[in-house]
Amino acid sequence: MSDNVTLTIDGVQVTVPKGTLIVEAAKQIENEIPVFCYHGKMDPVGMCRMCLVEVGQPAIDRGTGKPELDEDGNPVVRFFPKPMTACTTTVSEGMVVKVDTSEAAVDDRKAVLEFLLTSHPLDCPVCDKGGECPLQDLTIRHGPGNSRFDYEDKQHFPKRYPLGDLIVLDMERCIICARCVRFQQEIAFDPVLAIENRGRRAHIVSYSKPGFDSHYSGNTTDVCPVGALTTRDFRFGARAWEMTNVPSLCNHCGVGCNTVLGTRAGTIRRIMPRQNEAVNELWICDKGRFGHHFNGSPDRLTTPLIRKGEELVEATWDEALSLIGEKFGAIKSANGADSLGGIAGARLTNEDLYVFQKLFREIIGTNNIDHRVGLSAALEDETAFTVGVGVGTDLGSVGKGTTILNIGADLDQDAPILYLRVAGASVKRGAHVINAGGRRTKLDAQVQTTLRYNYGSAARLALGLLASVVSQGLVAKEWADSRTSGMADLEKALKNFGADKVAEATGLTTNAIDAAAKAFAEAENGIIIFGLEAGNDPALRAALEALALATGHAGKPNNGVIAVLPHANSRGAIDMGILPDRLPGYKPVESNAGLSAVEMLTAGGVKGLLIAAADPAVESESYKQALQQLDFLVVQELFLTETAQMADVVLPAKGNAERDGSYTNLERRVQTFDMGVPAPGKAWADWLIFTGIAGQLGADWAYASADGVMAEITQRVPLYAGMDFKNLTAPISLQRKTEHYIYEGMSFTTDIREGIQWATVAESDSAPKIPLRFIEPAKASSQEQGLTLVAPRMLYDGGRLLAEADVVNAHILEPQLMLSRSDAQKLGVSTGDSVTVSQNGTAITVPVYIERTVSEGVALLPRNLAGRPAEKLVGPNGLYSTVKVEKS
Amino acid sequence: MGWTEKEQQDLEKILKKYPADRKLSAVLPALYLAQREKNWLDDDDIEAVAEALGIETTHVHSIIGFYTLFRKEPVGKYMMEVCTDLPCALRGAEDFFKRLCERMGLGPKGGTTEDNLFTVEEVVCIAACDKAPCMQINLEFFESLTDEQIDEVVAGLRAQASNNGA
Ligand code: SF4
Ligand code: SF4
Ligand code: FES
Ligand code: FES
Repeated sequence: MSDNVTLTIDGVQVTVPKGTLIVEAAKQIENEIPVFCYHGKMDPVGMCRMCLVEVGQPAIDRGTGKPELDEDGNPVVRFFPKPMTACTTTVSEGMVVKVDTSEAAVDDRKAVLEFLLTSHPLDCPVCDKGGECPLQDLTIRHGPGNSRFDYEDKQHFPKRYPLGDLIVLDMERCIICARCVRFQQEIAFDPVLAIENRGRRAHIVSYSKPGFDSHYSGNTTDVCPVGALTTRDFRFGARAWEMTNVPSLCNHCGVGCNTVLGTRAGTIRRIMPRQNEAVNELWICDKGRFGHHFNGSPDRLTTPLIRKGEELVEATWDEALSLIGEKFGAIKSANGADSLGGIAGARLTNEDLYVFQKLFREIIGTNNIDHRVGLSAALEDETAFTVGVGVGTDLGSVGKGTTILNIGADLDQDAPILYLRVAGASVKRGAHVINAGGRRTKLDAQVQTTLRYNYGSAARLALGLLASVVSQGLVAKEWADSRTSGMADLEKALKNFGADKVAEATGLTTNAIDAAAKAFAEAENGIIIFGLEAGNDPALRAALEALALATGHAGKPNNGVIAVLPHANSRGAIDMGILPDRLPGYKPVESNAGLSAVEMLTAGGVKGLLIAAADPAVESESYKQALQQLDFLVVQELFLTETAQMADVVLPAKGNAERDGSYTNLERRVQTFDMGVPAPGKAWADWLIFTGIAGQLGADWAYASADGVMAEITQRVPLYAGMDFKNLTAPISLQRKTEHYIYEGMSFTTDIREGIQWATVAESDSAPKIPLRFIEPAKASSQEQGLTLVAPRMLYDGGRLLAEADVVNAHILEPQLMLSRSDAQKLGVSTGDSVTVSQNGTAITVPVYIERTVSEGVALLPRNLAGRPAEKLVGPNGLYSTVKVEKS
Repeated sequence: MGWTEKEQQDLEKILKKYPADRKLSAVLPALYLAQREKNWLDDDDIEAVAEALGIETTHVHSIIGFYTLFRKEPVGKYMMEVCTDLPCALRGAEDFFKRLCERMGLGPKGGTTEDNLFTVEEVVCIAACDKAPCMQINLEFFESLTDEQIDEVVAGLRAQASNNGA
């Protein structure tokens, strides 16, 4: 039997897959059935009754079981006596649907609108949704001209009710479609919104502490079909039709969410998600939505500055660049090229980073470059080159038959939209997710299997899983034989990682390890995700790479490894070779590898340093001292950071909204963003600044645009062949663009792009065999007495970019030591008390917070917070250490 | 609040009836238990139920809000719940409700009497539609009510309350 069904809607025939809802079938022939509660990403509920249509089915003769025919030989259609909701009714063969051709259905919808409007304030002129409001539009198209309801009977609610400190509710406008409640439940897995009371007194509430406690709250304002939910950030910010909508990308984490900047009069008024089904679907997290204020901040650097004694004084670009040329030139001729170095942060674009490395490698003549400072120093990854997830991987579609193994990433904090997709794969589509971590994280509640390992044992866990795959005979032999080498040696090395030993090191049971290995190996698709809390350990990465290869989970879509790298372009920084020992495209430096960031930030490492988009001075006292001893320091930045204050020359850079460029996300998807607003003062794009410096040192580069730089990258970095801006910016299938916003919640028109993923070695059949690597993990730390202090990353960090976003300020943690209740009891402290945390002579004092997600023996002190107390104890690049905690 | 020892025992009994991964199913009996002592639920009670069942506080509130049997504000000893849903309204329940409020010395939306003895409240269908106006006082039903009957019932309850030394 065919899996398709043919039906007729308003006289037009359409064939759709079985199980399709009437509303979706109608959409395909551009018959827009009006909806409010229906949303393509959520389960249908049929709450609002706006989509009522008349539905008929071919009559079947009971005697013969054949369709009844009328005199003319046409099938007789029997209509259901009552209208049906098109959003909950699935199609059937021969069905006849009347949307606009049925007077009754037209009347019904008119009546539904009249009901919905009985208590609506109709304050469209001052409502933020005005102009992009489904209620407004559908009322004009389908509604009655006036209302018969008694004005005195209108329900009244507070007009400005904060659901949390980000989202404001105007309950009078709400039509109880429950899209917001369902979004939080079904998509964000933070069920912190609900409908309280019934009938006309029903209203939306949040009782979490703090209110509306979710990283995804802003999305509810997009899906709300009326102006009931607004963000505090955008409230009364601009009228929808006055804004220009510019395709952009979020620059706050490695997910690479597609966004649209709503700009007006040269400023960003709001950021909304831009659909990309392969990346962020229709969502962004609140950091991405509200964390844009650094772009328009009055504190931005607007002009180059040159040090005159104690002071930094304003200068022209010519003065600044020629001073850099002169000083760098002099240092190089006196001490050699290797006395210069550069550090570039991973929030710069591919174009910036490519030019940056070219400046150092080709013009100055040194490999002293690195991007590994701050968070970038805490997690590295080279496995993407060989076994990164296959091109075409879509975490939004995987389900049954897929096993996702997450090791050491707290996805809700580290990569929020990835969290939604992984949790969705588990809860909604039945993927087997194994969440391995050193502590309880939010994902635990949404998955089938959790593995709690001892901090520091993640590499052993990975090797244990691999050994278990081998001993259970689950190696994908044929594939591994033809595509990899060194299996025999690997198997030998794995002898030391039998389940017993690994169980002891990790604190897991042998059964749990074997079961996880089996679930991963036997799955049709296998994806490995790893993050910060697995430790920055080459042994771990070698083991995960081998695990993917040995199980054949590499080289195809929905298989392979994803490193949850911290920044928007962390992947690009590695791809572009911002490393002392690796050139663009993962080519090792043959000879004279350069100094790492840590080495350059050690006193005596280099004499002249260029630092762009990084602030090492705040991270550690020793970095600061090293910076003080430099002969010449150039800092290229958005703000006068601590590092910039120490510079000899400060160069103002453009923010991401003020220029175009490309980022490569953690799934290796290269994506572009456009320029949205003008830059303040005389700021330049980073690639242009590097080009200017190169010019002073004798280069004759003629880059005129980011586009032009990318054109060169496509020529010189084979991984990026074909990724010129023309291809990257090409809008995809226009069908998606025309889907009307009443179904999805976004009214603006802007380019929908998909980006391009580069292919891994495992994907190329002609590539040489991939060697299976084994690296002996470092000795487990000796059993020192004390608590294990872990420094995880928080979404709302104390970084400079977020500091400018007043709306989220309340969400940025003050440094605090999170303890389990039992450890707190042992220490005799409770929430709010202050404790002294010490390690090797370094001591800090912080307040305690009792947190139920923390396991006994572990204390959390998030990194990247004001004063960087965690970094003082675990080191700027470390993850954890054993500490002593005392009541102070 | 923190459950009393007895409540804790009862809670465990309730929870035992449901599979460990379906604790949400226990929410109604758990709320009923939390309300047993003082006849209404304060924020701590609600928090305690949420914690016992491992669900969001907001979720518990929405369930409370759906049922008129649960209350988030102090109420009188006797809850007088009058159905004013459509079928009852057609039999004069709305007017009856207004008159009841008047007789009890309350505003048109009901409320609690000064002596904290009675709370008058409009509710939705209590399944006695054919005998409207109808009212539930705590667990007892009163049907096809007249104003005179109200006075009788109220007087009786007042007497009962003072006998119990309330
Ligand atoms: S607030 Fe908006 S999304 Fe939520 S129920 Fe009301 S109308 Fe629907
Ligand atoms: S998940 Fe990451 S990329 Fe996406 S909006 Fe949030 S911070 Fe930005
Ligand atoms: S009932 Fe179908 S859209 Fe609401
Ligand atoms: S409608 Fe009043 S009891 Fe049913």
